[in-house]
Amino acid sequence: MIGWLAIPRGWLDSFGEIARFGSRVAGVVYSGKVLRFFGETIRQAGILIFGSAVIIWAFVFILGLQCGIQGAFFFRSQGAPSYAGLFTAFCDLREALPYAFGYILSAKVGTGIVAEIGAMRISDEIDALEVMGVPPITFLCATRLLAAWIVLPVLYLTSIGIMYAASYFAVVEQVGDVSSGGYTLIFWMFQDPTDVIYSLIKGMTMATAIVLVGCYYGYTASGGPVGVGTATAKSMVFNIIVVHILGMLGTVVFWGANPRLPIGG
Amino acid sequence: MMILTTRTIVSAVRPPYPYGNELVDQFHFVLRLSWFPLVITTFALCLGAPGLQAAGPLQTFGALDRLGGFFVVTAIRWIGPLVTAVVVAGVAGTAITADLGARKIREELDALQVLGVDPIKNLVVPRFLALMVVTALLDVFAIIFGLTAGIAAELIYNQSLGGFFATLFTNATVTDVWASVLMCTMFGAIIAVVCSFKGMTASGGAEGVGRAVNQAVVIALVTVFFFQFVFTSVLFATNPELQAIR
Repeated sequence: MIGWLAIPRGWLDSFGEIARFGSRVAGVVYSGKVLRFFGETIRQAGILIFGSAVIIWAFVFILGLQCGIQGAFFFRSQGAPSYAGLFTAFCDLREALPYAFGYILSAKVGTGIVAEIGAMRISDEIDALEVMGVPPITFLCATRLLAAWIVLPVLYLTSIGIMYAASYFAVVEQVGDVSSGGYTLIFWMFQDPTDVIYSLIKGMTMATAIVLVGCYYGYTASGGPVGVGTATAKSMVFNIIVVHILGMLGTVVFWGANPRLPIGG
Repeated sequence: MMILTTRTIVSAVRPPYPYGNELVDQFHFVLRLSWFPLVITTFALCLGAPGLQAAGPLQTFGALDRLGGFFVVTAIRWIGPLVTAVVVAGVAGTAITADLGARKIREELDALQVLGVDPIKNLVVPRFLALMVVTALLDVFAIIFGLTAGIAAELIYNQSLGGFFATLFTNATVTDVWASVLMCTMFGAIIAVVCSFKGMTASGGAEGVGRAVNQAVVIALVTVFFFQFVFTSVLFATNPELQAIR
């Protein structure tokens, strides 16, 4: 029987350990020891691209469509339909894209890492690696983190483009209150390259946290096939919370004090 | 998966009904696991995304009281159901897949069938019904905590709350609320079917269960989001009073 407070208590327990584990992995990457396994890193990067890119783009496309129709209908009910671009510019770049990226990464990449490394732990492959003189944290976790850092910024930037196209499609083609020119005028007015950088930082922080959480739960899995399933489920719960907290902090830090609007000088 | 959906619905309504206890257990289990993540995530998402981000332009125009109307769009129509779906899929859906997958791997499902117990009627149907009801209930809490986050954003900008509530209640309609709850009921059904299906077809030892959970949560999220897009489009098209200028 799980008590009502089991989940928050479990997080408090594991948060410190995840932080320690994560700093160890990041330290290995930062000190360059991971470059010994650069081939493995490239292989992991390839798996990320071929396994996750299409899913990420499809997911982001759907969320862009949603941003578009919600924005269009909200501004229609305010009597200013031509300003739908204001909503989609903020929604796409600043908020929905980091969250969508976080959700789909924790669902696809995070749980995938747990399943893979967890299965290795259960079948004693990690101990075998250690016996053979290969440091398992470097070989399994640090290579995945480095691969994520190589691949994900590019995937993030392409996702921005796909989301913009989806919002354009929803606002201009589907709802059709505003002309193409009127929409793009407002849309491009309310963003600048700095926003893209901030948004990228937000998304990459989430991605790093997700990969580390996935590695931790996989690395410490125990208890047979059932244990791998439970660890995968637990990592998903933890990742959802991490994504939301980081998203809120990012908004407060980057746009909380200065909303960066081109209105009134 | 469509076969599983049909069989689940058919065996849910056809007597006998042996799944009463399991239904209560599942209901309790999902609620206990999901309530805390739901509160945290809705509050964080609604405070950051619509709260602070929309308060910026509105403050520049001196129209911060309009935030209430904006929260109808975000908290009730969009983010409430969306976050509920993500939390239920991530917390309850993964737990269901892990549980059923483990039973499949240990051949408990086959044993049940040999004993003459129908796994769909006794395992899938209670989860299906429990998830439908719980997701709808959690949506109400998501809306409440989303609006709390809106109030917090309003207070951060030192605004009185009268304007917030005034625009909130002029813009909110009954249609908004029932549509949100109905949408979440359907989300619960989708998540339950996808996760049960992936759990019951897991194979391949330890890695198989993990991979089943992975695929289940990805498919559930993509399906739910696409369904939400279609549902919202249909809702706006069939209820033009939602778009009236207020």
